[in-house]
Amino acid sequence: MTTVPDLGASAPAPSAPTAKPDHRGSWIPSGGMISTRFMELRKRRGLMIALIVVIVGIPTVFLAIRLLLHAFAPHTYGPAGGSAIYGALVSGVLYVFGFIMAATLGATAGSADLSEGMFRHLVVTGRSRLALYAARIPAGLAIIVPLVAVGFTIVCAVCVFAAPTTLSYQGVNVPVGLSSAGLQTWAADHSDEVICNFGIRIEPSTPNAAALNEVLNSTPCGNGPGAPGIGKQPPGVQGQSPPSQAQISQAARLIAGMNYSDYARQFLYPSTALMIKSGLWLELEVVIGFAVGLGLGSLIGQRTVAVVMMIVLEVVLTPILSRARIPHLSNLQRAVVGLATAHLSPGGLPVLGGGGGGPGGAGGNPGLLPESTTVAVCVIVAWLVGWTVLGAWRMMTRDA
Amino acid sequence: MTIATLSAPSDKQAAENQWAVETHGLTKRFGENVAVNGVELLVPRGCAFGYLGPNGAGKTTLIRVLLGLTQADAGTMFLLGQQVPRHRDKALARVGAIVDEPRFHGHLTGRQNLRILAAAREPEARDRIGPSLERVGILHRADDKVAKYSMGMRQRLGVAACLIGDPQLLILDEPMNGLDPAGMQDMREMILSLVAEGRTVVLSSHLLDEVERTCDAVAIVDRGSVVRQGPISELLAGASLALEVECSDPDRARALISATTIGTVEGAEVSAEPTGLGVTLPAGTGRDVVAEVNRVLVEGGISVYRLQVVQASLESWFLQVTSRLGSP
Repeated sequence: MTTVPDLGASAPAPSAPTAKPDHRGSWIPSGGMISTRFMELRKRRGLMIALIVVIVGIPTVFLAIRLLLHAFAPHTYGPAGGSAIYGALVSGVLYVFGFIMAATLGATAGSADLSEGMFRHLVVTGRSRLALYAARIPAGLAIIVPLVAVGFTIVCAVCVFAAPTTLSYQGVNVPVGLSSAGLQTWAADHSDEVICNFGIRIEPSTPNAAALNEVLNSTPCGNGPGAPGIGKQPPGVQGQSPPSQAQISQAARLIAGMNYSDYARQFLYPSTALMIKSGLWLELEVVIGFAVGLGLGSLIGQRTVAVVMMIVLEVVLTPILSRARIPHLSNLQRAVVGLATAHLSPGGLPVLGGGGGGPGGAGGNPGLLPESTTVAVCVIVAWLVGWTVLGAWRMMTRDA
Repeated sequence: MTIATLSAPSDKQAAENQWAVETHGLTKRFGENVAVNGVELLVPRGCAFGYLGPNGAGKTTLIRVLLGLTQADAGTMFLLGQQVPRHRDKALARVGAIVDEPRFHGHLTGRQNLRILAAAREPEARDRIGPSLERVGILHRADDKVAKYSMGMRQRLGVAACLIGDPQLLILDEPMNGLDPAGMQDMREMILSLVAEGRTVVLSSHLLDEVERTCDAVAIVDRGSVVRQGPISELLAGASLALEVECSDPDRARALISATTIGTVEGAEVSAEPTGLGVTLPAGTGRDVVAEVNRVLVEGGISVYRLQVVQASLESWFLQVTSRLGSP
């Protein structure tokens, strides 16, 4: 028997229904939702400390130590900054750890509501689940993007302002920024150092090859460990008359000319263009890391598992798949996002960990699996869109 | 799932609908297990409605289905006159709910947690945070981290989270859990005050005494189905009549009663106890029977010291209903 109760059926409502529409069913999150989500993430003290330590702290401490060492013992320890240090910190620290930390933040944003029981409260508000998911994207990026910018700015500042004053090229201190003629003039004045240290490749087509060989054979370099010369001969052969100073200077000019294209790529500190490109490239990397972490965290509902998977992807799988030649699976390898971002790395950046673009960008690294820029961009877009769709789909269909 | 192709009723139409909750044939399965089995539920507006059932009866599952936390497999349902899940956003805009144990972000304060929830609601919800915290009695701890809250305080915060939406309908799943006696008293008074304001409160609880003291009407759910629903007074009127008789020689008294027509009525039970008799009579038994019991005992030489009609409680009625259903 079911009796329909007749209690208070005509009782008045506490207040009239909301007069203003609040677009609760819209997939677009409100500004308030984004700002409170930002607050929720920012208040995670442990996570924020980890982010700051890794993204800002490690480069800062490393550079601070180098600054101090150079200040107290400048002859023993070189300048703190410079192009090489810049490349190492950008490619070795900010690129790899930036991705991992962004993924950690994303995985936290994607799974915290669920694991901490807040998801149910949010669903009961009637707000679109898609909007709940979408609010996390700008909120998370508002944390990780500026943080990477801060770390990167510190690296740039130190590398530029504490750069060496002379360029060490092939072990020889060379003035920076010389033209081809300028380098040859300088080489004529430092002929012994140039002949003994600069790279030399003599081919049959090389002009004045015979005279050059004669000078090389007569110059007493010693072939020490610091002499990388190619085709260099032992010290002067008995019975030959020593070359004149003019011949030696001419040989030095020739050798300088051979090395100019390589020399021209050397800088005391990164150029403005390189820094801008590197900064944008790093931000792209952390955006990808965050989006993938968010999608994965939302998909599996757990932070730890998602973070471990992202670390394995970045530190283990990407380097292997970027360089291995697996027959018939090249296209699958190209679908790895780390390889795609490495191919977009700015020229002049050595990529040490997460995939590697190498000097001159990806094209300059013969070890990297070849991939066109178009394919790389498509792979990145596919990862961004794919993981976002997956995470949003799971959020919409998940039991709360 | 059957989805009616109705357009969204206007706010006025929805407000005029007399039912706060209305379900028809609502079914939810988990594999072979039917957690909610064709539930027909009608909860009138402006009352406190108890939703009772033994553990595993499907109480929480029904609430989760109603709130869109999980999808139904069949049936139709309306909240405040709005069909869900079709017009879920409109319906839930005026609904507040606690489902299971209320949990929040432990690293945030109570106020910050409410700010997150208010941001997902209408803009006015943010202004209600302070009053809601004050109403549930945790305003003084609003800026402490939730990780430091007791279970009872989290329950109160859960109710405050409901109130920031200025709800017409509150669905509270075991809101007394974790509360001390004073907290339970506060919660009871708050529920009654919410009802007095014209709101509807659906209270799922295993504390039958609390439900009896708080609610106007109840529904009993067992094995996924609603088996009884209605105003408590009407339901209890259909419960069996119990008599407690304090007398001399209980064994002889039992024999006397059993030998009369009273003892042979279907559903009647007479038991001898150390201090007297316990007599249970079927529902609908008239008051004359009480006088008849007294007469038979006195005429049989039994000294009657006390004879009392025991009012059926919700608990005894609940046990009657569920045990009858549970019997093969």
